[in-house]
Amino acid sequence: MITVTDLHKKFGDNHVLRGISDTIEKGEKVVIIGPSGSGKSTFLRCLNLLETPTSGKIFFQGQEITDPKCDVNAVRRKMGMVFQHFNLFPHLTIRKNITLAPVKLKVMTEDEANERAEQLLKRVGLADKAEDYPGSLSGGQKQRIAIVRSLAMNPDVMLFDEPTSALDPEMVGEVLDVMRELAESGMTMVVVTHEMGFAREVGTRILFMDQGKILEQNEPGEFFRNPREQRTQEFLSKVL
Amino acid sequence: MIESIKTLIDRVVDILFTGNRYMMLLNGLKLTVILSLCSVIIGIVLGTIVAVVKVSHQNRPRNIVLRVLNVIVTVYVQVIRGTPTVVQLLIMNFVVFASSRNPVAVAILCFGINSGAYVSEIMRAGINAVDYGQTEAGRSLGLSYFETMKSIILPQAIKNILPALGNEFIVLLKETSIAGYISIQDLTKAGDLIRFATFEAFIPLITVAVIYLIMVLGLSKLLSMLERRLSKSDNRH
Repeated sequence: MITVTDLHKKFGDNHVLRGISDTIEKGEKVVIIGPSGSGKSTFLRCLNLLETPTSGKIFFQGQEITDPKCDVNAVRRKMGMVFQHFNLFPHLTIRKNITLAPVKLKVMTEDEANERAEQLLKRVGLADKAEDYPGSLSGGQKQRIAIVRSLAMNPDVMLFDEPTSALDPEMVGEVLDVMRELAESGMTMVVVTHEMGFAREVGTRILFMDQGKILEQNEPGEFFRNPREQRTQEFLSKVL
Repeated sequence: MIESIKTLIDRVVDILFTGNRYMMLLNGLKLTVILSLCSVIIGIVLGTIVAVVKVSHQNRPRNIVLRVLNVIVTVYVQVIRGTPTVVQLLIMNFVVFASSRNPVAVAILCFGINSGAYVSEIMRAGINAVDYGQTEAGRSLGLSYFETMKSIILPQAIKNILPALGNEFIVLLKETSIAGYISIQDLTKAGDLIRFATFEAFIPLITVAVIYLIMVLGLSKLLSMLERRLSKSDNRH
């Protein structure tokens, strides 16, 4: 579904991604872990072109999205993204947060979008919050709404950029539950996270990144039992 | 005491109501309101466009169209802020639109263009104050840059800058008092004409001042009501 070849990203003199190549298949749940500054988030943000790669190619469903002629907005409709800091629209009600993009982009009529919003809100247990504003919600609730907002566009893949890192510990569980349920429904997911439990349980493949490269990858059982690289072992011994 | 109040009232009635002179004030007031309302709308529209150009240029410094537009709007803001409004008004009326027979339209345009320069700086600060994550969230959903600007960033920016924008409206309302320079009979000019006709300065000028004051106070009240309405979404627990 997504193929990345020799991806590089520089911020000025800072060479953040140093040649990443990978293919993400439909239905995979790829979990990206690694020390801070290793380029995990930058890699994820390159996938929907929130960061413009310095060089390298990215293909999504067979289309080269790094081609300057590619319609980035059309590509992003098919890729949902969930941010560390939720980024809900504070001036809109929860319902409007969810229906804004589908209605503006004419993917759905207002009625269809409202119905979809209700259905999704029910799924994450927040149906009673539709008319509230984001300011009155807890962090965990905000992040669940942010997931719903992305899902309303019926994306083919969901990107998660440290979705639980800004949450109070007691709220991490409720967000991971929603993500777990989403994974079970067959969604293709790429998740940057520090939640090793989630990575082990939900991930189908773990990517370990260090210094702008994918240092090691494996299916989770093997990855956590027998990490091959020394850097991976060091990292895991610190976080587990 | 009561005697002197009575004579004052008599004088007010004499000066303002003989020969329906109060009608001059009312017509002047009407013009002042029209001038301010129309030009504040032009100002906000123009200011928003200028601000969006500036911020977009900031975000995409290499886009050539934006670079050209940015030069144009920068010159515009500098020229407007660097010259007195009266001079701008005179130039607009006697140079740019010398053949126009509609000074009110010229004045509206002039005040609108003038206000736009100030509004643009306020608006730019407002846009920049909105967290960049909001733009990213909008774009990640597939909304275009300008759709994100329109539906997500500008509404939040305007809410943030409402007090400053209200202040700009108040400044503009008072600024229109120079319209008399191009022989528009606005409120100030009307008061001054009454002074001329009656050889009495105190009553007409104070009346004019009081009318301005009442308008500004009413406007402040209105704005604070609007602000409260817009802050509905801020209810944090």
